Amino acid sequence: MSAPEVHALGTTPITSHAFNGDRSQVAVSLNSNDVTIYSRQGKEWNVTDTLSEHDKLITSIDWAPNSNRIVTSSQDRNAYVWQETQDPQTGKMVWKPTLVLLRVNRAATFVRWSPNEDKFAVATGARAIAICSYDEENNWWVSRHLKKPIRSTVLSIDWHPNNVLLAAGSADMKARVFSAYIKDVDSRPPPSVWGERLPFNTVCGEYSSPSGGWVHAVGFSPTGDVLAFASHDSTVSIVYPSGPVIYTIKLNSLPYVTLTWTAEDSLVAAGHDCQPIVFSGSAGGWQLVGTLDDTSTSKSNGGTRGFGVAGSQVGRLNSAAFHTFRQADSRGSSSPTSAAGSGATDTELLTVHQNTITSIRPFSGSAEKVDQVSTTGVDGRLAIWDVNNVAELTGKMGALRLH
Amino acid sequence: MDSFRKIDIDAFDEDVLLETELYDADPRDPAQVLDDAKAKAAAVRSSLSKGDIPGALTAVLDGAPYGPNVDEAKTLALQTLVTILNSTKSSDVSNIVKSLSQDQQDTLMKYIYKGMAMPGWGDVSGSVLLGWHEKLTEAAGIGCIVRTMTDRRIV
Repeated sequence: MSAPEVHALGTTPITSHAFNGDRSQVAVSLNSNDVTIYSRQGKEWNVTDTLSEHDKLITSIDWAPNSNRIVTSSQDRNAYVWQETQDPQTGKMVWKPTLVLLRVNRAATFVRWSPNEDKFAVATGARAIAICSYDEENNWWVSRHLKKPIRSTVLSIDWHPNNVLLAAGSADMKARVFSAYIKDVDSRPPPSVWGERLPFNTVCGEYSSPSGGWVHAVGFSPTGDVLAFASHDSTVSIVYPSGPVIYTIKLNSLPYVTLTWTAEDSLVAAGHDCQPIVFSGSAGGWQLVGTLDDTSTSKSNGGTRGFGVAGSQVGRLNSAAFHTFRQADSRGSSSPTSAAGSGATDTELLTVHQNTITSIRPFSGSAEKVDQVSTTGVDGRLAIWDVNNVAELTGKMGALRLH
Repeated sequence: MDSFRKIDIDAFDEDVLLETELYDADPRDPAQVLDDAKAKAAAVRSSLSKGDIPGALTAVLDGAPYGPNVDEAKTLALQTLVTILNSTKSSDVSNIVKSLSQDQQDTLMKYIYKGMAMPGWGDVSGSVLLGWHEKLTEAAGIGCIVRTMTDRRIV
């Protein structure tokens, strides 16, 4: 049983994170207009670059592992593609932005590169998804819109491994599967369970959240034959399109806002419950298996476990008094907490993340067999979890502690 | 208030998302929903006289009226449910809520919240509702409360 690797990148919420291909760098947005790039140096993550071009909050980041390009989306209704190029004067490598005209009049909410990295999809609040592909002739990114039948803000998207189909979760309480086929980029996709002829904007499936919640997260299984979505009514649904057979798991906990598949028969979801939860199943049925966060033992005394900077350098200073001051600094708590982490004034959760997990992504392993996942949350922490390290869920309330 | 503030701006929006598009409507006719509710109220009375609380609760929670144009049936269903809740011994509540299906638990939670929003209405008793709420939350978790808030199929 290995404990998760935890890094406190900041005290502000992390809206999104994306690792580069070899996982030596991570781009995060610390609830601001800038992207901060951290590089791993030994056990620590240090800031090496800041990408500033957006003039409103950045909502999502994706880093293409092979072509090493970053795409960012923001509430300023724009997306930028960042490419690392050599500065002609200094010879240093710098990130050069290219503006992508999305042609939308609302915020861009979510962005993902396609598996082949030749196009990307941007979810927006304008009831549309912009599919952007590169136009060699004019040297710019052109966008085409998926509009019908989206009725509200699109909150999340996920690409099918065939580079054509796209799943989208939206605030009109539906998860949909679209074709994002672009003639100049894609070759005709082989027929799949989602359909055979797939011109642009074909709706291959439309699934409602069971009790009417916004669909926060969508994900295709590694083969792309199964779709999972998590919605704000505290449910996770798994869709087998030939049928269609839909398995809905109603949760006892608060809703999940992000999910990722770790194998064809398992997925990890996380959200307002502050811990990553593992589900597994097959075409015969799905169930909750357990949590990656062993909440049976208190993690207070605290929160320092594995923390790059604080944990390694302070050494013997890591006492109760130090803990109190750090709490005051990082979390604004002025009341002294006891070293054991109990007491009526203590608000520390038993989970690693101290607030909502906003993003969960595969970290290591292959798409068919993910070994580790990374999470970031509103508490400013980045955690890397071993997906095989599943503990039983203690207590029906999840992270919520009842006194 | 200025008159322009009272303009129904949705009437000028071609793409307006209507309440009725957010959930699947009840396939039953409003008149039939009312008949069902009346039949259930009678069934519940006979179940209660036999002391069969789980049976009575199941009857009223399955196929609960929701949506527009069924206000009378909704009122009757709430009335019936409140009668059941009030006539249950508080020591039995915990086992009863555990025996319900997840869908029934969600519907029960909706009624509990509806009852709490109408203090003093009929036989609604705050302490009884809070007692049920506590036991139901223990059994079904806060996810059940979340679904009560998100579900547009309002009872």
